Amino acid sequence: MKHAGRGIACMWYPIGFTVAANPSSAVVKVNEDGTATLLTGTVEVGQGSLTVLGQIVAQELGISAEDVHVISADTDVTPMDTGAIASRTTFVTGNAVRLAAAEAKSILLEVAAEMLGVEVRELEAANHQIRVKTFPEKRISLADVAMGAQIARGRPPLGSASFNPPTVAMDPETGQGKPFAAYVYATQITDVEVDDETGEVEVLHVYAAHDSGTAINPALVEGQVEGGIAMGIGMALSEEILFNPEGRQINPNLTNYLIPTSLDMPPIDIDIIESYDPVGPFGAKGVGEPTLVPTAPAILNAIYDAVGVRITDLPATAEKILMAIRKKERSNVKGLEPGEGDT
Amino acid sequence: MHQVEMMVNGQVRRAEVPAETTLLSVLRETWGLTGSKLGCDVGDCGACTVLVDGLSVNACLLLAVQVDGQEVLTIEGMGGFDYLHPIQAAFERLSSIQCGFCAPGIVISAKALIDKNPHPTEQEIREALAGNLCRCTGYTKIIEGIAEACRAPAITDGISVTESGHV
Ligand code: FES
Ligand code: FES
Repeated sequence: MKHAGRGIACMWYPIGFTVAANPSSAVVKVNEDGTATLLTGTVEVGQGSLTVLGQIVAQELGISAEDVHVISADTDVTPMDTGAIASRTTFVTGNAVRLAAAEAKSILLEVAAEMLGVEVRELEAANHQIRVKTFPEKRISLADVAMGAQIARGRPPLGSASFNPPTVAMDPETGQGKPFAAYVYATQITDVEVDDETGEVEVLHVYAAHDSGTAINPALVEGQVEGGIAMGIGMALSEEILFNPEGRQINPNLTNYLIPTSLDMPPIDIDIIESYDPVGPFGAKGVGEPTLVPTAPAILNAIYDAVGVRITDLPATAEKILMAIRKKERSNVKGLEPGEGDT
Repeated sequence: MHQVEMMVNGQVRRAEVPAETTLLSVLRETWGLTGSKLGCDVGDCGACTVLVDGLSVNACLLLAVQVDGQEVLTIEGMGGFDYLHPIQAAFERLSSIQCGFCAPGIVISAKALIDKNPHPTEQEIREALAGNLCRCTGYTKIIEGIAEACRAPAITDGISVTESGHV
């Protein structure tokens, strides 16, 4: 017989390294045609980070993301980056990128102020122009400013910057400190069905609410959450590296290391909880590893809700669940309190 | 050595290969069509999916000689910078793909589905992708993208087009 269950799990997760330095650097160059070039040492592995970094440059300079050429991952020509790890790219690399763009912009604003005969503080960069905030009709195209800065004033509009997250080392006596500059939070709810004759679990639905700071690119945030949930479902129910006594992996292929297929994935409802981080670029924090943190615990809680057994080692395979159900039934027969027979 | 000749993406291709050469290896190594990916070489992952005479198959499981005289469609025949197949256009719009390793096979599997069934249900899309593993996306936006592609005029009007004009 199949039993329905619902489980909830909440998590927090830190962005960047634990106290240790993990700097990023970036160079932004505004070209004479009003486009910009970003040099970053970080890599794109499909998560969309170069898209987001390009968007950050575009936002800072008031141009469109298509006009930002991103050159990445070759540290012969780009600054070094600590890497696409620790869910840090948007937060740490993004801050370096934003600061570099801001430095290039400050040159453009100074040049534009001279060209327009106004004060720098009166100006803003928006819509591919530098314009007077209170009188936007008084404006000059970013391309003309960049050209003027380069050719006439001898001040190429370049910026370079580094960012290392501000942290406070933890006191070994008290445990006090601030080991990370930002934290993200999430809650996931899973609905499952557990077959008490086979131990099989079907995940019917996942609801995921994630606070990642400002979502610079909401579709990419969703993509990370969806992918993380797929990994979390695999971690909860099927993925396990098995070794023989000699330490050799005995399931080194996709026939017996089982990752979720399209048929195993439930519908996912995502709620991006917008918040604003004061340190992050435009308020952004991060989304990456944390997306899968609550999935397995939410599924295990749902299994408990469905059939009353606690599985405490992953993955919760059908065999383990069935054995736990049998054990519970036997102890119930012996008149033990519910719960005592749990694994 | 065996002579093989097949129509690949609308173009006749010939090769002389040892009998044990897979279709995937002749596509990738002899003809340089590296769009089809080698994920596992044993039929588990679907990254090598191509159409042979309109049926989706794992190119790593077929020998090149078995495909002699037949028509093959690979991802290279589906679209390019000038023209995207509606499935690819929808994937681009929805940010369906992340690392992209699964994508050539998934696009081909989706085409095989839509050619047969231009108005699939979500469950039918899931079933059509069951042999294509994706480590990155959870399939969510891929499934949405295929559903959206089915609403594109080229699909709803029943025109099955590819860049090379090959169906
Ligand atoms: S390479 Fe053919 S199925 Fe994996
Ligand atoms: S997008 Fe990476 S495997 Fe599918």
